Amino acid sequence: MVAVAGKRGRLGLGVDVGAALNFVSSVLKYLGGAFLFPAAIALGYGEPVWPFLAAGALTAFTGVVGERVTSARLGLGPREGFLAVALTWLAVPAFGSLPYLFAGVDQLANPVNAYFEAVSGFTATGATVLTDIEALDRSILMWRQFSHWLGGMGIIVLAVAVLPRLRVGGRQLLQSELAGPTELERLTATIRETARRLWVLYVALTAVAVVVLASLGWSGADEEMSLFDAVAHAFSALALGGFSTRAQSIAAFAPVTQWVLIVFMVLAGINFLRLYRLLVQRHVRAFARDEELRLYVALLLGGSALLLLELLVGGLASGEEAVREAVFHAVAIMTTTGFAVADYTEWSALAAMTLLVLMFVGASAGSTGGSIKVVRHLLIGKVLRRELEQTVHREAIVPIRLSGTAVDERALRSVVAFVVLYLGVFALGAVGLVVDARRGDVEITAFEAIGAAAACLGNVGPAFGFAGPFGSYEPLSNLSTGILTALMWLGRVEIIPVAVLLTRSYWRA
Amino acid sequence: MIGAGQVGSTVVEALHGEHDVTVLDVDPGRLSAFSYRYDVVTVEGNGASRKTLREAGIQEADLLIACTSRDEINIVASMFTKKLSPETQTIVRTTNIEYLEIWRERELDIDFMVSSELEAANAIAGIIGIPAARQTDVFADGKVQMVEFEVPRDLQEEMVVGRELRDATIPPDSKVASIIRGDRMLVPRGNESILPGDRIIVIGSPEAARAWSRIMARGARPVDDVVIFGAGQTGVAVAGVLLEQGIGVRLIEMRQERAREVAEALPKARIFHATGIDPDFLERERIGQAEAGIFAMREDSKNLYAATLSRVHGLRFSIALVHEPISEEVFERAGIDVAVNPRSVTAEEMVRFAHDPRIRQLAMLEGDRFEVLDITVRPDSELCGKAFRDLPMTGSLIGAIIRDGAAIFPHGNDTLEPGDRAIIFTESSRVAQVERVL
Repeated sequence: MVAVAGKRGRLGLGVDVGAALNFVSSVLKYLGGAFLFPAAIALGYGEPVWPFLAAGALTAFTGVVGERVTSARLGLGPREGFLAVALTWLAVPAFGSLPYLFAGVDQLANPVNAYFEAVSGFTATGATVLTDIEALDRSILMWRQFSHWLGGMGIIVLAVAVLPRLRVGGRQLLQSELAGPTELERLTATIRETARRLWVLYVALTAVAVVVLASLGWSGADEEMSLFDAVAHAFSALALGGFSTRAQSIAAFAPVTQWVLIVFMVLAGINFLRLYRLLVQRHVRAFARDEELRLYVALLLGGSALLLLELLVGGLASGEEAVREAVFHAVAIMTTTGFAVADYTEWSALAAMTLLVLMFVGASAGSTGGSIKVVRHLLIGKVLRRELEQTVHREAIVPIRLSGTAVDERALRSVVAFVVLYLGVFALGAVGLVVDARRGDVEITAFEAIGAAAACLGNVGPAFGFAGPFGSYEPLSNLSTGILTALMWLGRVEIIPVAVLLTRSYWRA
Repeated sequence: MIGAGQVGSTVVEALHGEHDVTVLDVDPGRLSAFSYRYDVVTVEGNGASRKTLREAGIQEADLLIACTSRDEINIVASMFTKKLSPETQTIVRTTNIEYLEIWRERELDIDFMVSSELEAANAIAGIIGIPAARQTDVFADGKVQMVEFEVPRDLQEEMVVGRELRDATIPPDSKVASIIRGDRMLVPRGNESILPGDRIIVIGSPEAARAWSRIMARGARPVDDVVIFGAGQTGVAVAGVLLEQGIGVRLIEMRQERAREVAEALPKARIFHATGIDPDFLERERIGQAEAGIFAMREDSKNLYAATLSRVHGLRFSIALVHEPISEEVFERAGIDVAVNPRSVTAEEMVRFAHDPRIRQLAMLEGDRFEVLDITVRPDSELCGKAFRDLPMTGSLIGAIIRDGAAIFPHGNDTLEPGDRAIIFTESSRVAQVERVL
């Protein structure tokens, strides 16, 4: 890192690499503190504490040193924002994987696998290479869940809220983190305060989830739900992650718990800016009129209906169980959570196809979910309709509106570009998997490869076949694991910040 | 008066006979032209300067008319006037509808504000909104309408036309104010009847006006597709008024940026980026099929060309905005159905206010044979408290009264109360008498 920082003085370089590195270092410095939480858990359960303390110390030390040796020449502007976002999402999981290595988890002894698990954690994907989850120490399990939670709302949003120096750059960072395709609307006068309030809302919702889940356990409604599980699943649900402390995922819990988790997943899949306006500022009408929200709900219902059809006609379940399983999986997959209450890999092609399509839908922009996101589908639909209209009426000027407000043409172009890039990266990833499988003699069907690529790029988690909801990505080779790790990273940063780095014009002054 | 432009000269034309007028303008050329034509005092200077206003004798003036083409100058002039001489009434011309709205909210200390754009838009909407109508005027924020119809010669109708008025099924909340047959004007007493070929003037509620228009335009569909050429301020104002009436609007604008801007501002209208004089475009978009074309571009010559071209493509009804006084005649010669001059509409509006600030609105029908007055009844009026059937028949008609914000279309038993706003239809020669009596 020190060596790279030396480049900053090079002539003709239009990007302040130092500023970006400086930002990443600051994030790491604070991330060091996050290791204290699993350390406390370890202390409580009498498990080894030192892996967390060591990892935390190393992370914080790197951060502090990094901050010293790097310095901003031009400051963190919009350009540096891309680099900072891309690097943060690479560096944070790298340090986050340290406890897995230090604790000597057999299943994660391979650093590639440990990094995969950490990336899956921080990007709130929920894909795992573990085969026996319940064999892990409770503190390690909690670290997995906690990494979801830290990454869900975005450590970058948190950094914008906390770091004192970010003013101008903060806007760009927040934009690429959660605004989605349209202009970031501020809740308050400053970006920093906006980021802060989003985090407060996130923390508050998580706290509510913990209380609700834990009280299910205390009241005896769900014998399985301990306080530990309540916290772990609240983290995972609000971050739309998908990791569970149980091998059977949510199937281990009572139906009432499953319904509660559906509610929290649906909530977390809504744009947090909208949610804030509804819950705190009481803008009920604007909330109900939001087009993205309406489509989000409609798609959830549509997906549930198709799955219900599968379950009822296929005779796989009936009554409340059928409805619950259908809704749960539609919600879990579309919001890119990846929880499961049944092994959908045993269902027919109707279910597999429905779930695959839902993986490409994703949650709302500005939520903690991933994938293409509902608002982009909405805008693409509108652009298509306009194209059809303009083939007949060539001179017609038709602004595209989102909930009544005209959307900038440039934003529309970038939506189209994003979707094309997304599908391109997905195709490359899927092809990469089958090529590597042929080379490395791993059994993988075309649909499984497609599912794995879609599930990782969309930050969903479980896919089909061996990588199903109760399965594991463990059978894959190091190269394939690496490909999927890259897909999760690209999906989390929404491709553009990385793709931009590959262009020459980005680096030129 | 500040501003010696077209609006100014129309206003002076109407007022200089009975009032002493001082005209203020920055352009000495325009002022000298003025002083040759009218017997007025001219002062060279900026209307937004307090010193100039004082020198022009604002303290002695009863009324200030600020009608330059610049809104801010007009408003500032009015503000200074109110400071220097609180007794002076002010009329301000604006091109910005936002200012007008602010004024209506009483946030601007101006006695009367007129927007050329909105006046023109209302005039055009009046022509288009009611088929078969020759002329429409609205009073009391649209609660009362006065419409002139031409009764078609081939009209097959039995309930109204050809019957004595006392037996005719006249739409509720309306009155026939006058029947014009050839050169004769008939007072519509109970034993008169409306005949095909007559022109009639009707006062009534908006619903009644539409009912009348259905009677007079049997079979004619309501207007649903209007094409506006030019999305400038006036074009957009017209589109706004028409859209409010539920009429479908297509706007054609040649500047892409402006087209985009308007498209964002008017979600219900359809906007096209085109010159309006491209035959292929007119053909493709079936402009000839539209029920009416409104030509609201900046240049008269362009409007005339576009209108003529659209007529070639089959457009049946064309309304054009004119900017030069002479164009009105040129357009009508060329076969354009209606020419509207926003500046003269504005000037008319100002003259109405100048005549008597008590009269909120005043329309002139049939050239200047009739006038419509909107007068608030004084408490000491001799007609107060009298039932309508006992009012003297004088050839003037109270078409409607506005009481507590609601329009009442009076019957024989209703009485006239102090504070009522009366909408009165009268012969021009009787205006002074009516004003005196009420």
